[in-house]
Amino acid sequence: MNTGDPAVLSEAPVSCELTDGCITCGDVAVVLTVVEASGPDARCRDDAGRTEDVATELVGAVAPGNRLLVHAGVAIERVEG
Amino acid sequence: MRFVDEFRDPDLAEMLGARITALCEPGRHYKIMEVCGGHTHTIYRYGVQDYLPDDIELVHGPGCPVCVIPMGRVDDAIAIAERADVILTCFGDMMRVPGGNGSFVDATARGADIRMVYSPLDALRIARQNPDREVVFYAIGFETTAPSTALTVMRAKAAGIRNFSVFCNHVTIIPAIKAILDSPDLRLDAFIGPGHVSTVIGCRPYEFIARDHGKPLVCAGFEPLDLLQSVFMIMTQFAEGRSEVENQYGRVVRWDGNLTALKVLADVFALRPYFEWRGLGSISHSALRMSDRYGDFDAELRFKVPGVRVADPKACQCGEVLKGVLKPWECKVFGTACTPEMPIGTCMVSSEGACAAYYNFGQYAKQRVHLEV
Repeated sequence: MNTGDPAVLSEAPVSCELTDGCITCGDVAVVLTVVEASGPDARCRDDAGRTEDVATELVGAVAPGNRLLVHAGVAIERVEG
Repeated sequence: MRFVDEFRDPDLAEMLGARITALCEPGRHYKIMEVCGGHTHTIYRYGVQDYLPDDIELVHGPGCPVCVIPMGRVDDAIAIAERADVILTCFGDMMRVPGGNGSFVDATARGADIRMVYSPLDALRIARQNPDREVVFYAIGFETTAPSTALTVMRAKAAGIRNFSVFCNHVTIIPAIKAILDSPDLRLDAFIGPGHVSTVIGCRPYEFIARDHGKPLVCAGFEPLDLLQSVFMIMTQFAEGRSEVENQYGRVVRWDGNLTALKVLADVFALRPYFEWRGLGSISHSALRMSDRYGDFDAELRFKVPGVRVADPKACQCGEVLKGVLKPWECKVFGTACTPEMPIGTCMVSSEGACAAYYNFGQYAKQRVHLEV
């Protein structure tokens, strides 16, 4: 997965680590929590506190606290439960 | 870790393993294919097979998008990337996939400008930053990834960005499963369905597998307990004489999928009449191209490419591994001539590939077995 500055996912160098799998492709997606929504993008955070901007057009309007399944910078579904 | 630990509880795994064992019919051997490379990765990383009885065999399927890219498609992209005005962008896993004329890494060493991106939206950003260059995104992936490419192209069109295009290799999972079901080499009893593909396409497209072929399919999440629970659901179907599609991954998979994403896919892409899959051969209506409406963003129309089919290396048995006929370690060159550092076949390149996953994790499980003996 992305490494580098742990605070900013989107600015980290892209690499694959065999321990966590490659989040840049394949069917691997990660769950992120919306921090701030503005227009088609939302600032999202993972459990480690790292943030990235995520495109949200495919899941409709989002609000802070919503959890999203994110793949390649795009939210592909909302996470329930 | 929040939301994760509960899906990796070893005590629950032991309990599920015992319940699965109790459902096994004495003397029967069960072959269950996990279609998705992400599941293969989880199985080896967490030793999921160790929690299952010997009578249940997990067979690895073709669902690693990197592994199914034929060599000729790598060569085509390199031909585009070697143009001085082009920046080729791709996901990290693609960089080392060997083509007939080397990999993207080799092409970079020869002077091509090839850059790794995390998202196709990053490729679009590079296009905005380099208006005097042509930026091409090398798109790979199943229905999980295709929506992100589609969304990016829609944004490019809306913003009037003309120096961006897509070399499209997106594939669809259902025709690949059909090809496996029709393969004379393999007898399968059930499928573990690809969880994240299913967030987009839903569970409905799999219904023919249960209805027409009599094989259960359970859409599964990617944590170890997700997989064990899915096997338990499959075994319960066998015990009750049922053959159905069920959804274990209800936290993100809806029965009808993501309708917005499906609409976007239908708008931006069109089905190719046929597409070559590495190891599986040519499969009809199994891949996507840019639709006529978005033809201006099709790199194959914008640039001249060789379009030559390149045969796989003779020593490589990725095809048999992708169909689940061979286990990774049964390939002639596994771990010797073919390693993650110097891959011959695509299955050894991506961490989702069965060979790489086994090379990095599975061999330890085998060592444990030997120690116990």
